[in-house]
Amino acid sequence: MRAPVLVVLALVTVGCSAANGTGPGASSTLTVFAASSLTAAFDRIGSDFTAANPGITVSFNFGSSTDLASQIQSEGTADVFASASGTAMDSLQSDPGVTGRTDFATNRLVIITPPDDPAGIASIVDLARSGVRLVLAAEGVPVGDYARQALTSARILREAMRNVVSNEDDDASVVAKVSSGEADAGIVYTSDVVAAGNAIRPVAIPAPVNVVVSYPIAVVTGSTQTDAATSFLDEVTGPTGQATLKDFGFGPG
Amino acid sequence: MRARLPLAIVALASLGAVFVLLPVLALFVRAPWSRLGGALSGVGASTALRLSIEVSLAATAISVAVGIPLAWVLARGEFPGRNLLRAAVVLPIVLPPVVGGVGLLAALGRSGLVGRWLHDALGIQLTFTTGGAVVATTFVSMPLVVLATEAGLRGLDLRYERAAAAMGGSPWYVFRRVTLPMVAPQLAAGAVLTWARALGEFGATITFAGNLAGRTETMPLAVFQARQVDPGGAIVLSLILVVISVSVLVALGGRLTGIR
Repeated sequence: MRAPVLVVLALVTVGCSAANGTGPGASSTLTVFAASSLTAAFDRIGSDFTAANPGITVSFNFGSSTDLASQIQSEGTADVFASASGTAMDSLQSDPGVTGRTDFATNRLVIITPPDDPAGIASIVDLARSGVRLVLAAEGVPVGDYARQALTSARILREAMRNVVSNEDDDASVVAKVSSGEADAGIVYTSDVVAAGNAIRPVAIPAPVNVVVSYPIAVVTGSTQTDAATSFLDEVTGPTGQATLKDFGFGPG
Repeated sequence: MRARLPLAIVALASLGAVFVLLPVLALFVRAPWSRLGGALSGVGASTALRLSIEVSLAATAISVAVGIPLAWVLARGEFPGRNLLRAAVVLPIVLPPVVGGVGLLAALGRSGLVGRWLHDALGIQLTFTTGGAVVATTFVSMPLVVLATEAGLRGLDLRYERAAAAMGGSPWYVFRRVTLPMVAPQLAAGAVLTWARALGEFGATITFAGNLAGRTETMPLAVFQARQVDPGGAIVLSLILVVISVSVLVALGGRLTGIR
């Protein structure tokens, strides 16, 4: 009579242990939490890394750096954290702690429009013109905060905020809203432009009002695979990783 | 005297109940009770709540208006492809809502199949508008009222309708005065489920209509947004949604599943 209960409990238990099964096996999985702007570059770095280190599979969790940092604090399942913001990394400094922190890449902001540029955006001040449908990442998301910082430096924050039609979850969602032609303009990272190809048209933001974003990477304290994690950091900061990051539109760290 | 339930069934039922209740309980435990008042009276919460109620009621009204005829066609119509049509109508229930949002963009977006025409000829853009949020919410929640009403129609004794027709009632009169009153309980239950689903809709809305306070930022989107800057506030907003949904579902009791 108890059999069904035991079966269910057994399944639940097996499922749980399979999810975090590490141990001294022939192969291991390195869990890397990375900012969503790193998706394309890290996918390639990950396969290069596995090719150079057979037996170590890299499993990525891409998302907003702020979200990832709070997931690491509450769940503690990450070996490596690569953040699009120093602040998100700072928040892990005391809980659970990080080691080997280093800036490995830089990114800048860029305006994007659909290829046919329906609103006629030639420079950042055009974002203040009334009627422009502007999409930003939400406040609290690093790229959203940086975009507001750039608009403040350009002295058009108030006008531009009136044009905002949506506050998106991350840069990829901003790109999607612009490339589908729903929005007239958005502000994302230069690396997003490389990833999106011809689907969007970039408009440069001049250096004095632009924001240079440093990306820190570190091994998360509590990782059971610090050796593999450290080699992954070396891969990212080494010549191959840096060349890949350059291909995807990032500057040197 | 009550029948004794087998122990295994009780044990599994307890497991199921705990599994469902635990996350809700955790929300109550983790809620920042000391700042509850502040969060409740905050402009953001009340704006999102009002918008959520407006959007969910509008979506329910449209779902009922279109869903009853659709249920009737599915229950009574004899035509090739009826099962395919039913599958298509039910699809939004099983589809990830974000897929629905992507589909809506391709269909009704500014450069979508139909949306292009809406925009160029009529100057209508649904994306980033409250209307767009209603469209996305309706897409996801309408199947519930269609399914419930169709089940009701299939369970009817056709003799009442035949008798009404034999006494000279027009098909429209019979539908209005005989058929509709008889499926009212199922229709009402379906409408409430549709409304509850509409209240919780997130993925299709943020994908299709975007996220802007006062325009498309309903409660679920506000929870998502608050999570970035104020995790405690996100829990408060979640609790408001839980309390509203549970109140309505409890008030309806067994009627929800057609059990009275």
